[in-house]
Amino acid sequence: MLVEQIINGIVLGSMYALIAQGYTLVFGVLDKLNFAHSEIFMLGGFIAVASVALGSPLAIAFLITIAISGLIGLVVELVGFRKFRSRDAHITAALSSFAIGLVIIDLTQKAWGTESVSIALPDELRIASIEVLGIRLVLVKLAILALSLLLMLVLHLVVVRTALGRSIRAVADSAADAALYGINVTRVTQLVFFIASALAGVAGMALAVRTGYANTETGFSFGLKALAIMAIGGMGDLRGAFLGGLLVGVLEALAFQWALGQLADVAVWLFMICVLLVRPAGLFGTAGSRDTRA
Amino acid sequence: MIQDYVIFTGVNILLAWSVYIILMSGSLSFANGAFMLIGAYVSGVLTVKLGVPLLVAAPIAGLATFAFGVLVGFPALRTRGIYLILVTVGIAVSVRGVIESIPYVGGVQGFGGMSGASPWHVVALVIVVGCALWLVSRSPLQRILDAVREDELVAGSLGINIVHVKLVCFGVGAGLAAVAGSFYAHYMLHVSPDGFGILVSVYIVLYVVLGGTNNLWGPILGATIMTLVPEMIRGIAEWRPTVFGLMIIVLLLLRPDGLLAFRIATVRRRRPSGRREAASQEPR
Repeated sequence: MLVEQIINGIVLGSMYALIAQGYTLVFGVLDKLNFAHSEIFMLGGFIAVASVALGSPLAIAFLITIAISGLIGLVVELVGFRKFRSRDAHITAALSSFAIGLVIIDLTQKAWGTESVSIALPDELRIASIEVLGIRLVLVKLAILALSLLLMLVLHLVVVRTALGRSIRAVADSAADAALYGINVTRVTQLVFFIASALAGVAGMALAVRTGYANTETGFSFGLKALAIMAIGGMGDLRGAFLGGLLVGVLEALAFQWALGQLADVAVWLFMICVLLVRPAGLFGTAGSRDTRA
Repeated sequence: MIQDYVIFTGVNILLAWSVYIILMSGSLSFANGAFMLIGAYVSGVLTVKLGVPLLVAAPIAGLATFAFGVLVGFPALRTRGIYLILVTVGIAVSVRGVIESIPYVGGVQGFGGMSGASPWHVVALVIVVGCALWLVSRSPLQRILDAVREDELVAGSLGINIVHVKLVCFGVGAGLAAVAGSFYAHYMLHVSPDGFGILVSVYIVLYVVLGGTNNLWGPILGATIMTLVPEMIRGIAEWRPTVFGLMIIVLLLLRPDGLLAFRIATVRRRRPSGRREAASQEPR
């Protein structure tokens, strides 16, 4: 039972980590918080629900979710961040992205209502499980875990190994210097927003497939937690966001196991405040570790 | 009915000012709804469980929340401004959750039994706070705040203790939100935590941004319009988030400096004195 809870926690944590990667990518490149991110995650669930309802198989729904969430990410960048580049515009950027988030929530509620909308998938898909060494493993959860780990591995390799990743890291280091070396900073920023939002959309789809429905409240209740996780892992640090996500996922599953209820949801934020108190650079790594910084 | 409007508008003006005070020092708070909730509960416990009169309980709630704000604000401010935004989001989420898990104050059901706030209390408070803010805006303190907001580096080199200034502003904003929350709770007779999610805090910030962050009149304008207009026109109430959100985005896009458009107004306001006239001619 305990092992199953820990596995649940890791699956949960991998979804948190996917969203947190997006927060941290944007923060690394722009030094700004993207408050619309959690709502793109929420919308990802609805995009998946809608495309499954229109009859597309899961793989196609996955691609549609990536494409649409990514495009919305580009819109968020254009409307909420493009004009607020200067270093001390972080308040303006926080406000504009929050406003975009509000609009996304409201329009989603106008389109699908405030109640949960279930995804048109057979229940067997969600329940199907195998037993290994006496531990029941739900296949969907394993698939979600494998998919998120794969996506994060690819992201890591892209950032660390490719020319593209090098330009992302260059912009993160200093946009002005990167521009001097002929990097198109706007393109790189757009790309980062596309990747971040696509990952958030995938996480939203994963949550919808796992729980069986999409809900407009998940942005605030689930997605925003990834913001705390980003701070716990170290702002702008991809590896920290990954480890932080897993850690918080497991801790939350254990808190659920011990019936802490309401406090389990709050614990992440209290934990974040404590981490910022003691180690502002985050739990993992140091502020200066450039190789893992996006 | 008119009583309701007066109370709600007054409370929202006070809340808008509480955000404005924090903004004056260049920080942003998404936690003022939570501070309001703390104020409501502290004063509620004092009046209902301990029998303290409201006019004593409200200031105590304000002071307690001031202390709380300073306590949580200090570590965040010590590092970088952006951390404070994160911490305020954390406070906004966790205060609600913590209160919901305390059975002594009713948990999820909320806390009731408060009474005794009249619209006149709120009106008087708005006038008092307004006068205080107006006095501050004409005092050297305002110039210190301007300096800290516009350029921390320069302010620091002038010998201004930036952390100190920001911390006091953050605490005072938190305290004011708590006092507003006390009167709100004692008018509503009952408060429950789920009415004070992070959205409440976000709306308060939006009042200020829509009304204008340049001076103390902006928050009044924003809070009044945003409280009364949705009451009058049902269609807007239904589309409130979208309308608000789009208005904010357009406003910020039209003023690329966003909140930093502060400067124009501060320079203009200071024309009377010759020395400051010279300062206003400097390139921005």
